[in-house]
Amino acid sequence: MTDAATTTETVFDVRDITLRFGGVVSLRNVSMHMNRGEILAVIGPNGAGKTSLFNSLTGVYEPQEGQIDFTNRNGRTIAVIGKKTHRIARAGVSRTFQASRVFSALTVFENVKIGAEDHGGIGVVGAILRGPATRRGEHASDQLTLELLDFVGLRKDANLIASALSYGGRRRLEIARAIATDPDVILLDEPAAGTNPSEKLELAALIRRVRNERNVSVLLIEHDMKLVMSLAERIYVLNFGGVLAEGTPAEIRSNQAVVEAYLGTSTNEGAA
Amino acid sequence: MRRPEVKRLVTVLMVMAMVTLMTGESGDASTPPTTGPHGAFFEKVSYFGLFRARRWMVFLTLGLLAYGLMFLYQRYSPPVRKRIRTVTATPKRLVQMRSSRFAVYAVVIVIALSIPHLVTQSYWMYLIVEQVGVWILLAEGLNVVVGFAGLLDLGYVAFYAIGAYITAWMTGVLPAPPLFHHAIPTLWVIPIGVLAAMVVGIMLGIPTLRLRGDYLAIVTLGFALIIDDYVGNQNGITGGGEGSLTVPHFSVNLGVWHYHWGLNPVPYYYLCLIFVVLFVVVFSLLEHSRVGRSWVALREDEVAAESIGINPLKYKVMAFAVGAASGGFAGVLSAGLVGNINPTMFQYQASINILILVIFGGMGSIWGVALGAVFVQVITSYMDNYQPWGFQINDLYMYIGALLIIMMIFRPAGLMPSRRRRREIKDFEETGEGHLDEVLTGDEI
Repeated sequence: MTDAATTTETVFDVRDITLRFGGVVSLRNVSMHMNRGEILAVIGPNGAGKTSLFNSLTGVYEPQEGQIDFTNRNGRTIAVIGKKTHRIARAGVSRTFQASRVFSALTVFENVKIGAEDHGGIGVVGAILRGPATRRGEHASDQLTLELLDFVGLRKDANLIASALSYGGRRRLEIARAIATDPDVILLDEPAAGTNPSEKLELAALIRRVRNERNVSVLLIEHDMKLVMSLAERIYVLNFGGVLAEGTPAEIRSNQAVVEAYLGTSTNEGAA
Repeated sequence: MRRPEVKRLVTVLMVMAMVTLMTGESGDASTPPTTGPHGAFFEKVSYFGLFRARRWMVFLTLGLLAYGLMFLYQRYSPPVRKRIRTVTATPKRLVQMRSSRFAVYAVVIVIALSIPHLVTQSYWMYLIVEQVGVWILLAEGLNVVVGFAGLLDLGYVAFYAIGAYITAWMTGVLPAPPLFHHAIPTLWVIPIGVLAAMVVGIMLGIPTLRLRGDYLAIVTLGFALIIDDYVGNQNGITGGGEGSLTVPHFSVNLGVWHYHWGLNPVPYYYLCLIFVVLFVVVFSLLEHSRVGRSWVALREDEVAAESIGINPLKYKVMAFAVGAASGGFAGVLSAGLVGNINPTMFQYQASINILILVIFGGMGSIWGVALGAVFVQVITSYMDNYQPWGFQINDLYMYIGALLIIMMIFRPAGLMPSRRRRREIKDFEETGEGHLDEVLTGDEI
C-alpha cells in the first residue's frame, strides 16, 4: 500500500460529538481523527450512524454536543458545526451520496463544470456582460472539467445527459463533480453500492488515484469488506452510534468485538 | 390502437363534452337561453347545453382534430427527435446550428418589425401591445422564477403592480405626492420602476426563499394579496379602488426635439419590442451561464447543489430579483400606455394567468414562453372581440382550462419545451423515479 501521501497533519478533528433527533440518539460521544492524505473508512451495521456522521461533517446535521474542526491545506481551521453546507463545501469538504444524485437534466460535461465553477461572486452582471474575467473563468472551468472527465474516464460521454449513464458511470460522474470543487477531503458514501465486481475493482483504483494524483484525502463508508480492507489505511467501526474500534485493516479483522458485532465469523457468515 | 391511446382519446372527448355542457349562452333567471326546446324540464336541461347540436359538433370535432394531430405528431416525430438528440457538437455542426439559429432570430425580428405595417387598425395594434407585449414580458419574467429556478411564485403580479403604481406615483397622479415633490416624465420612470421591483423581489426573497415548494407558493400568494389590499384600500396614498385615471403617456423632451406618444400604439409597440428583446437576450445569457446552471442544479437537487458549494438562498433571491425586473417594466409600460391604473388589474387571477402562459408555452423555455404568450393572448383577444361560436368572456377560463388539460396529456412539458425540462420528464418516464410533480416543479413533495 502506498502511503507516501499520508502525513500527520490533521484534516478532521472530531471530538465527542453527540447527535440526537428528539429522543433518538444517532451519534453518541463519537471522536474521530483524520490525517491529511489518508484513505480512511467508516464501517458498521445499518443504523450505526455512518451517514449521520457524514452529514455532521458536511453541515447537513448539527450535533448538539462536541466539536468538529476542519483544517484545509493552507492551515486554516474552521469549526464545522453551525456552518452552512455550501460554506463547508467551499472550504474544501466535498462529498458523494448514498443514492446517486447527479443533475439528470444537465449533460455529463455540465454536471462536472458546475462543480468546477467558482460560486463566490454575484455573477449576474458577469454572466450578462461576458467580460474578460468571466471568459477566463469559463475557460478555466472548461479545461478543468475536461481534465476530470479524462480522469474518471467519461470524456467520450461528455455530451450525454447524465441520466443516460450506467449506474457505475453515474458514480464516477459524482466523484468527478465532487473533486471539481478542488476539495481537501472527499467523503464517499457507499461508492460501490449497486456496482458489479469488475466495476468495484475499477472504482477502487479510481479512489486510490483520487488520493495519489489529486492529493485529496478520502473518507469512505462502505459495506463491501473486500473493498474496504484492500483500500483503507485505517478503519473506524461504528455500532449503535458509538465508536466500537479503530485501527488498521489487520487490527480490525482480528478485533473480537468487531467480529461479533459486524464482520461475523467464517462459520457464521453475515450474522450481524 | 394501444390502450393508452384509447384512454387519451376518451379523456379528450370527456374534456370537450364538459366544455360543451358548461359554456355558452346561459341567459339569466328570468330569461333562460333561447336555444333548445322549451318546457320546465327541457329548460333546465338546455340550460346546460344538452340540446345544442351545433356546439356539440364544433367541440367534439375540435377534440378529435386535436387528438388526431397529436397522435400523428407523436407517431412520426420520435425518429426526427432522435436524430436531433444524437447530434454531437462537432465544430462543423456547431457552426451550422449557430448560423441556422441566427437565421431564425432574423426572421422573428423581421416579422416583429413588420407587424405595425400589417396591422393597420389602431385598436388591434393597441391590443397587441397591451394584451400580448406586456404579457410576454410578464411571462418571461415569471419563467425565470418558475422555469429556471423552479420556485412556484403565485404572487408574481405584485411586481407588475409595483411597476405600475411607481409610475403613477413618480409622475404625480396619485394622492401621495411624488418623490421630492417633483413629478418626472413617464419615460424616466422605467429604470426606477425596474429597480423598485427588483429591490422588492430581494426584500421578499430573503425571508421567504428559505421555504420550499408549497410553503413558498402560499407566502408569495399572500404577498400578492397584501399588495392588492394595500393599493385597493389606501385611498389617501394609492387612490383606493379608483386608482388613477390620468397617468401621463410617454413623452420625450430633449429641448430641441419634443415627441409626445399620445394614444398612438405604434411607438409603444417599438418600445415594448426593444425591451422584450433586451430581456430575452439577458435571460438567455443567464440561462447558459453558471447562474443558470446553478438554478438547474438547485431545482433538481438542492442537497447535491449545496454539497458542491452553491448557496441556495443567494441564487434563489437572484432569480426573484431578475424575474421581478421584467414584471416591473411591464407595469411601467402598461400604466403609460393605458393611462389609468386600478387595483382590479393586479388581482390574484392575473398571477394565475401569467403562470398559465408559462406552463402552456413550456416552463424554462424562453422561446416557448414567448410563443405560448402570443398564442393564448391572441386567441383570447380574438374570441373576446369577435365572439365566434357564441363565445362569452365569462367562459374564458373553461376554455383555457380545457386547453391546459389537453396540453398536459400530450405535451406535459409545454408547447415548446426547454431541452433541460424535456430531459427531466423523459428521465421520469423512463426510470419512473420521483414524483412527476416533483419533476415538474423541482420540489420535494
